[in-house]
Amino acid sequence: MHKRFGALHVLKGVSMEVGRGEVVCVIGPSGSGKSTLLRCINLLEPPDEGRILVEGKDITVTAHAHGEAEDLDYVRRRVGLVFQQFNLFPLKTALENVSMGPEKVLGRDSEQARGEAEALLARVGLSDKINEYPERLSGGQQQRVAIARALAMDPYIMLFDEVTSALDPELIKEVLDVMRELASEGMTMIVVTHEIGFARDVASRVVFMDEGVVVEEGPPSEVLGNPREERTKSFLGLVLEH
Amino acid sequence: MEFIRQYYFDFGLMGDELEPVLKGFWFTLQLSILAGITSLTWGLVLAVLRQLPGRALAPVRWLTIAYIDAFRGIPLLLILLLVSGGLSALSSPVGGEVIPRWLGVPTWLGQTSPFWYGIFGLTITYGAYMAEVYRAGIDAVPSGQMEAARSVGMSHGQAMRFVIVPQAVRKVIPPLLNDFIALMKDTSLVSVLGAADVVFVGRAIQSETFNGSGLMLGAILFLIATIPLARVVDVLLAREHGKYERGGAAARRPIAGAGVHGAG
Repeated sequence: MHKRFGALHVLKGVSMEVGRGEVVCVIGPSGSGKSTLLRCINLLEPPDEGRILVEGKDITVTAHAHGEAEDLDYVRRRVGLVFQQFNLFPLKTALENVSMGPEKVLGRDSEQARGEAEALLARVGLSDKINEYPERLSGGQQQRVAIARALAMDPYIMLFDEVTSALDPELIKEVLDVMRELASEGMTMIVVTHEIGFARDVASRVVFMDEGVVVEEGPPSEVLGNPREERTKSFLGLVLEH
Repeated sequence: MEFIRQYYFDFGLMGDELEPVLKGFWFTLQLSILAGITSLTWGLVLAVLRQLPGRALAPVRWLTIAYIDAFRGIPLLLILLLVSGGLSALSSPVGGEVIPRWLGVPTWLGQTSPFWYGIFGLTITYGAYMAEVYRAGIDAVPSGQMEAARSVGMSHGQAMRFVIVPQAVRKVIPPLLNDFIALMKDTSLVSVLGAADVVFVGRAIQSETFNGSGLMLGAILFLIATIPLARVVDVLLAREHGKYERGGAAARRPIAGAGVHGAG
């Protein structure tokens, strides 16, 4: 997969396969193309070259043909994305944030959508916050609502884009715990993260990216414990020092 | 000095002519409110058309931008004359009756045709102004909101309707009110079409009595309507400003906050 922004070549041929139930952690220095990779998979940024297959179905064809097409919306429904900056809808309660997708996009009955949203919020430990507006929630709580919002669309795969980077240190754990639980329930996940500890514990595979290419990938014990590549070593050295 | 007082503030004359002037102002108010509603609506339509995504819809965007540029750049008086002259001529036998009479000389809802020419002209022009205000509001909504809406599978249209526009509108209520005040004052231009608005009535009094007190009474009535509106704008802006001072997150709250938290 290739992606350029003007003259800037961000993804220089990244190839990746993620099996069902796998948790792939993508690490690497900032500017290495990790976030762009996720945004391409979800087609927020259609890739310039390459293909994306979900459940064997090529979802990139329409992206090349029109730039915008109905199929893209269908794809985005089944590919959940959680953002660094949460991006909750500020005029909606936690419950409405979660129930909105099923209601507006899937045409689910309002009662039913709200019931399901309530269950999802309970799953991320926010049963007591369902009627709060995002501005009244802590960063960690907002991010958990955002995870519930993505889960509400019953995704094939969840993409996490540095979801703990904007959080105060004491709030990181509550979000990571939710993600750990998702992983243990068999959710397919691609996690772009700087949390090396999380990657070590949870990932079935770790991918190290730098300058738009995959430098090294393998089980966490190898990539994190005993990296082959110089660039991986020096990056881990910098990250683990503090 | 006495002459000035007499010319502008002849209270006896004002008392005598209060009823026709008030009647004229009632016409002005009806025109303002209806044209205000149609302009707000048309402006939002234009702003949304201007933001349509994708290469295929680029012509729609260009046309919208051309429209907005054109009608922001032409004086309202000219538009009013072109609209009224054109519609009435095209529906007359001389103009070949290109458009039906009911549209060329509209007298809907018991209002005169100059009233409706006023509505058309004001909507065409103020729709363009307000489209620019809405655009500023839409641009001020963080791009992450559109991305989040798209990532739960909403189409561009759904994202605009359910996520972006509600936030954008709340941000631009004060500038829209400012435009409404300007629109209200500009309704006075329809007097040249023979509409019986407050200016028309005031001028009739002036030419009859060689006294400007009727017009002055109209001016006072305008102030009674516009000054409170200007204060409302100030209060809304001050409230918004206060939020910015308290912190970034709170700044996203709706400007006319009351009731919103209870809604939905």
